[in-house]
Amino acid sequence: MNVSFRWAAVAALAALSPLTALMSPGAVAQEPIELSMWLDVTNGPDEADCIERVAIDSYNALGNGSMVKVTQQANSWDATKTALAGGAGPDLVGTPGPSFAMQLALAGQLAPLDEAAAEFGWDGIFAPNSLNLGKVDGKLYAIPSEIETLVLYYNKTLFEENGWTAPTTIDEMMTLSQTIADAGIIPFAHVNAEWRPANEWFVGEFLNHGAGPEMVYKALIGEVPWTDPAFVAPMETLATMQANGWFSGGLDRYYTGTFAEAGSMLGEGEAAMKIEGTWFLSDAPNYFGEEAGNSNELGWVPMPSTDGTVSYTLGIGQTYSVNANSEHPKEAAQFLGHYFSPAIQAALLSECGLANAPVDLSKEDLSGVDPMLAEINASLNEAYAANNYGYTTWTFWPPESETYLIEEVEKVWAGDVTVEDYLAGHQEKFDAERAAGAAPPVPAR
Amino acid sequence: MSAATSSPTPGVIHAGSRRKAVFRRRIVPWLFVMPILVLNLAVVLGPALSALYYSLTDWNGIRPPTFIGLENFRTLATDPSYRHAFRNNVVWLLMFLTVPIAMALGASSMLAPVKRGSLFFRMAYFIPYVLPSVIIASLWRGLLSPDRGIPGWLNDHGVPGFDKAFLGDPKTVLPAIGFVDNWHWWGFLLVLFLAAMQNIPRELYESARLDGASRWDEFKDVTIPGIRPTLIFMLLMTAIWSFLTFDYIWILTQGGPAGASEVLAVLVFKEAFRNFKAGYAAAIGLTMSVFVGIVISIFTLLRRRGWEI
Repeated sequence: MNVSFRWAAVAALAALSPLTALMSPGAVAQEPIELSMWLDVTNGPDEADCIERVAIDSYNALGNGSMVKVTQQANSWDATKTALAGGAGPDLVGTPGPSFAMQLALAGQLAPLDEAAAEFGWDGIFAPNSLNLGKVDGKLYAIPSEIETLVLYYNKTLFEENGWTAPTTIDEMMTLSQTIADAGIIPFAHVNAEWRPANEWFVGEFLNHGAGPEMVYKALIGEVPWTDPAFVAPMETLATMQANGWFSGGLDRYYTGTFAEAGSMLGEGEAAMKIEGTWFLSDAPNYFGEEAGNSNELGWVPMPSTDGTVSYTLGIGQTYSVNANSEHPKEAAQFLGHYFSPAIQAALLSECGLANAPVDLSKEDLSGVDPMLAEINASLNEAYAANNYGYTTWTFWPPESETYLIEEVEKVWAGDVTVEDYLAGHQEKFDAERAAGAAPPVPAR
Repeated sequence: MSAATSSPTPGVIHAGSRRKAVFRRRIVPWLFVMPILVLNLAVVLGPALSALYYSLTDWNGIRPPTFIGLENFRTLATDPSYRHAFRNNVVWLLMFLTVPIAMALGASSMLAPVKRGSLFFRMAYFIPYVLPSVIIASLWRGLLSPDRGIPGWLNDHGVPGFDKAFLGDPKTVLPAIGFVDNWHWWGFLLVLFLAAMQNIPRELYESARLDGASRWDEFKDVTIPGIRPTLIFMLLMTAIWSFLTFDYIWILTQGGPAGASEVLAVLVFKEAFRNFKAGYAAAIGLTMSVFVGIVISIFTLLRRRGWEI
């Protein structure tokens, strides 16, 4: 009996020992919740590495009970779409823009973030109205992550040597382009061989600055047709510029040149101007100054408009959301609160060269940022706050209409299709997509 | 132990061994085939059937699909982009049924008698085939540059007609991409034809020479009949692959400029991943399968009619 009792006591102690070990003070620390996030490395790992260093490591170091585990993979958007459709995917979902996020939200694959927005005070951090870009049916599903705009860059040294002044109107730009071409210099260093959708940079800029952002807004909400003469004129101007061979010396060069060649043309003074986005500035040191082996200087002005009014087109390059199937939506939202904090956004901008989210960045936040980029961003923020912003095609157009603008404009430039027919075709696609509910949200002006 | 249990009756033996024989003959082969059959059903038949289903829906690749019957195929019938892409596929087919085949036949018939260094020649011609398409395409994009590539060099040395970007002109873009693709492709054909030619008995050539045949006569009356199965098979495969071509066109031009190099596979990609019309893309993909099926049917028909292919 005694023997049995002793064995029973030993067995009971053995059974309880894991429990007692768990209850000991040294063992109460719980494993942090792991949140998954996929970062794209299609164009190399540098950007993803920098995001990890700046935004992820700093979050994981907070020790707030959750940590983000990053998986780097090429074509992560394709992988994300597939995984989400199968009910899986990362906790933190990145998309290439609001129109893509909208499709995921409509499919019920994203978790609403309104509670998180209230809890973390995102309305106070983000620029007014910018969160509306990620709303579907009044609910917030996606946070805009990269704000960008396009401006007219020019070789300042070349302009000074020739006594040229940067244009403020489209007419001035046309006259100046002819003068530049007459001097044996290529007016614009534009190419699209590596990125065919570069076509939409020019189409979008000419629609916005030719007709004015207000007209584009009205067309986006269906109040005026895209065939309005206000849109026809700037598209004719763009076609004339291509016909004159002002983009890199001719259409065949435009279609086959690389971005490095175009940058070099501008930096070396073989070309005088370039309409491109703020993303160009991270590469600019390769073409201007000591690193490029020349003493030329880069300058910029807002994209010229018909009447000289200054405005900036607004582009959102990426969004972040929380997976509807995430087991830890609150913690995922908490990470987004960290990621979109002004300090992290400023660090991503200055250390990684990434476009920042539309959050209010103070001068201190921007202290380490390229002064030209800071200046352009400040101008864009002012224009946005004053409702004086235009619309980039990749942010505000539904997908098929956007593809149409990119692809079919080449037929206009080839002389196979008239501008009127091009815009009429676009109207047809746009109407069909709007009726099908595929058009991204357009915040009221 | 009884006799019945120690030695079964002859009838029982026959029934048992017959069952075993039937099992061996009818079931065992299926057991061997089963793993690959299951794999095939999972990775080929499954996606094929799902593509068939999606072609009858308005699926955008993300949201649940809605059945729309034959609407996608009705759209296809009136879609100018589809007709244009199909036309480009036919041009591509004609290019690849002639140029690389002729080059490979000519070069292999010249190399067939060469004994010394034959391995070197085979390797030299075959290497481009094993290089990744993205490397070859990027290389040739630079080499075809009008300013820093071969055309630029020729132009600088006074050779007329080279002051242009062949990949940037709608009139020349398809042949230019075909040239790049062919650069990697024809060496593969050459090696296959060379291997086939070396199996032709030498006596046939000697007899032909005794009969006074010229090199051309030898080529058409001995070489071509001797390699006919290989030649026809490669013509068939070339025809099939021509309808599926994608990589070189996508890397070099993405179907541009102005849609001049757009083929069906490029159109499928754009519809599925840029326009979010995965259902429509599935319908286009199915028509590509039909074209390939037609080519295979012609091949099968010719074999049934007694062609030695």
